[in-house]
Parts: sequence; C-alpha cells; structure tokens
Amino acid sequence: MIDRNLIQRIFLCALILHGSLLMTGCSSFVTRFIVKSVSDLPVRPESVTGKNAHPVFQHVGLSILWVGHATCLIQIGDKTFLTDPIFTETAGMISKRRIEPGILPSAIEKLDYILISHIHFDHLSYGSLSMLPKSAVMLLPDGSAEYVPEFGFSEYREMSSWTTFEADGVRITAVPVQHFNGRYGFDGAWMKSPTYTGYVIEYQGQTVFFAGDTGYDPEKFKEIGKKFTIDAACIPIAPIEPHDFMKYVHADPEEALKILEDVHAKIMIPIHHRTFVQGLDSSLTTAQNQLKHLVDVRHWDDRVLILNIGERKVLVP
Amino acid sequence: MILIRTRWHLVSILLLGIMVLSRWQEANAQNRDQTSGISPTWFILQAVPSVSWTCFPEQTHFSFEWEVTPLLYSWGMTRLDPPFHFFFITQPERFTGSLELTLSTQLYPYRVGTNHWGFSGQLLAHLPLMDYGEYLGLNIGVARYAIAGNSSNYIVSGFSTLFGFLHYTIKYSPGNEIWMHSVEFRFF
Repeated sequence: MIDRNLIQRIFLCALILHGSLLMTGCSSFVTRFIVKSVSDLPVRPESVTGKNAHPVFQHVGLSILWVGHATCLIQIGDKTFLTDPIFTETAGMISKRRIEPGILPSAIEKLDYILISHIHFDHLSYGSLSMLPKSAVMLLPDGSAEYVPEFGFSEYREMSSWTTFEADGVRITAVPVQHFNGRYGFDGAWMKSPTYTGYVIEYQGQTVFFAGDTGYDPEKFKEIGKKFTIDAACIPIAPIEPHDFMKYVHADPEEALKILEDVHAKIMIPIHHRTFVQGLDSSLTTAQNQLKHLVDVRHWDDRVLILNIGERKVLVP
Repeated sequence: MILIRTRWHLVSILLLGIMVLSRWQEANAQNRDQTSGISPTWFILQAVPSVSWTCFPEQTHFSFEWEVTPLLYSWGMTRLDPPFHFFFITQPERFTGSLELTLSTQLYPYRVGTNHWGFSGQLLAHLPLMDYGEYLGLNIGVARYAIAGNSSNYIVSGFSTLFGFLHYTIKYSPGNEIWMHSVEFRFF
C-alpha cells in the first residue's frame, strides 16, 4: 500500500507551486487561505476519546450523532442516514482536519442512505465514501453525477429541488439552499444550474432538515418551514471570515439562528464548524463561541444543542 | 497519394464513428438534465492555455498548450453518467479510469528548431492509483508529435496529481530513440 503521509509530503512542493500560480490570479483571500491551510498540513488532528464503537441503534425514535463537519449520523426508527460523510485527514489535499472524526467509518454497521449536499471536497469525499457500507442508497444534487465515481452503492439518485425520493416509508425531499457550484474552482463557471441542495428526511412521524452548506436566504427557508413540520435541523454556522464573501455562501451563527426560526424547527444542531481549516476565522471555535453567546442571550439552551464531535443526542427514545 | 487518401479515410471514419457514438449515447441516455456542458463560458475558458516545460534531448522549452478531447470512454463513474464523452469532459470522468483521444497544439515562445509550433495526437489511458485518481493517477498511451518540422511516434507514460491539474510525462520514440519528459499544468 502507498503511504498517504509520504505522498502528502511529496506533493506539498507541488501544492505550493500550484498555490503560487493561483496567487497571481486570485484574490488575497484565496492566497491567505492556501498559505494558512498548507502551514497546518503537518499538524496531527486532535484525538476524540470514547468514540462510540456501536453508533447504530437497533431501533430509536430519533437520534443524531455529530461525526464532525457536516457529517451527521441520523437514525429514525430502524433507518440510518449519513450526511456528507468525511473521515479523511484532509478535504481535497489542502484543508486539514483538526479533530478526528467522532466515530470510525467501520463502526457504521448498517447504513441505509447517504445524502450528499454538494460536490465540494469537504462534502463529497471520495476517500470517505469508499469506506462505507455498500448497501446504502446515495442521493446527490441534480447535475453532480459527472463528479461521482462508482463506489459500489446499491443505488444512486440525483435530486432536483422539491423532488422526493420514497422507499419503505422513507421520504427524502431535496430542498433549495444557497451556496456555490463547482469542485475544482474553474468548473463552477460553466454550470448552468445549482448543484447544491439541502434535504428533508421524513420517516415514522419524525422530520429532520439537513441544510448542508448554505448562506442565508429567508425566502428559501421560510418556504421550507411552510411545507414541513421539522423536529430537528442540522444547520451550518461557519466559516464566518472574510464576511464580505462568506455571507453569500455560508451562514454565520446569527444567520443560522434565523434559518432555525424560518424553518420553525424544534431543535437545531450546529454543524460545519470546528473540524477543518476553512475560511479565515481566527480560531476553530470562533463560530461556536459566537453561537453560544447568542443562545445564552436568547435563553435557547434547550433549542440549540451544541454537540461535541462524536456526541450523540437521542431526541426521541 | 494513396497514403494521404488512406489517412483522410481514417479521419473520416473516426469522425463518423464519434458522431454515431454521440447519437447512440443520446438515444440511450437516462432522462436527466445535464447541469454542466458546452456553453459560451466553457468556450471562452478553453482559450486559456495549459503550460508545460518539456525537456528535449538538448534543451528545455516552455510552451503554452491548447488541447481538445473529441472522444473519451470512461469506466470509473456511476450508472448515472454515460460512458462516452465528446469534447466536454469533467476531471473525474478522466482520472477515475478512461481512454481518451486528444489533439493538441503547442506554442513555444522560444523557437524549437525551425518554428514555434508543435502538434500532437494522443491515445491515452488514465488509471486511478489514489483516491479514484484525484490524488494520483497513472497515464499510459501512444502519441504522434510533430515538432520543429519532424513528426514521430512516441510511447507516453506518466503520473497526474492535484485533481488532474499537474502532470509529469515521459515520452519515448522507438524509431528515433529519443527520450523527452515534461511537467504540465493543465487547467481545462
């Protein structure tokens, strides 16, 4: 087997060269992000103690385990859903994982559905998908099939906004969110329509909204709130900086709470923070600290559940 | 004369074959809208050249390169993505496992031999080695290069990394016993 760390070190030189090319043609944000990310590559991810070796229940009303970043292991009844799975040490060779995944992929003994919100490296991770049980059905945003290798899953389905996948009583509806196209940078320029989505999962009377990666668009979220009665919502809160760019594509903690209000969810679980170097936030906990402060001010401790990586919350036993 | 005619016949047959394949694939394609494809933006971006440094037997030359892929057969993608692609190709369709026909032209700012231009046609297989070829892939194939007024057949092999953007390629011409190697940044 090829040693990934050795390969990573060899490619570092190439990466810096490529990065320097990008610097000549891109904004200072891109330059600073690449420099920040590359300098973090040798750092080992912080370990997570007490990882759940058997994270899948035989049966549970509703539980959500935050694996890290936008990866949530959601279980409703006897069905298991995994969102945007990423277990690798980097997202797209550049962005470094700073905390280990909350569970090992091998611990997921049963998996029914994999939901992919979009094709960016930190949400469509080839290396991570290859580690997962092949029995799963993989749902993708419309137009992303040109970016998905054959992983051997039982079924693949592209989902455009407001279309619903139904099987065995499970209903999964793709819902519109606000983000940006492409995987490699340039390719987003020629995509004709959005290749990003959120999902609403309905099963056995429980409804979960997975927002994926999104900026704040009140119209879209209010419409989702009108159409569904949401029990729990996984909503991204980072990165925040540089705000002038991020505000269009990433919700900050304050906007995440607006999304929570717009979709009328009973419970929010913040995601897409603390795990990878992303954006130019001063620290990995910047977004989480801001959210904590906002939650304290509003006395929403029972509505916004800030989980640790690897922590599971059973919302309905 | 007969040779030239035969060559033109081969080109005609090839183009006809590509058209037939294109129509066949269209007829058999699943009922899905292509979100990306050939568009004015795509055309404009194709004008941006890739860059390469090629070590010839005597000198190293920098060049700009423009490449088209009339045909690519991909075997590494899901059932949702058709196997044959014509001109418009995404990076994963290439590096997850494919066989492609490419035509390219190179502009050498510093003259190679008698002129600034080079032309090539390649039949190249891409084999994924790490992360479905996105991190590391092996390329192997045959090519015909016309540089500095001389054209020769080459065996081509190399590696690609950084999502198919960075390539290292070795070329060997058995006829002339010439070795060349190059580093290329391919953008589109």
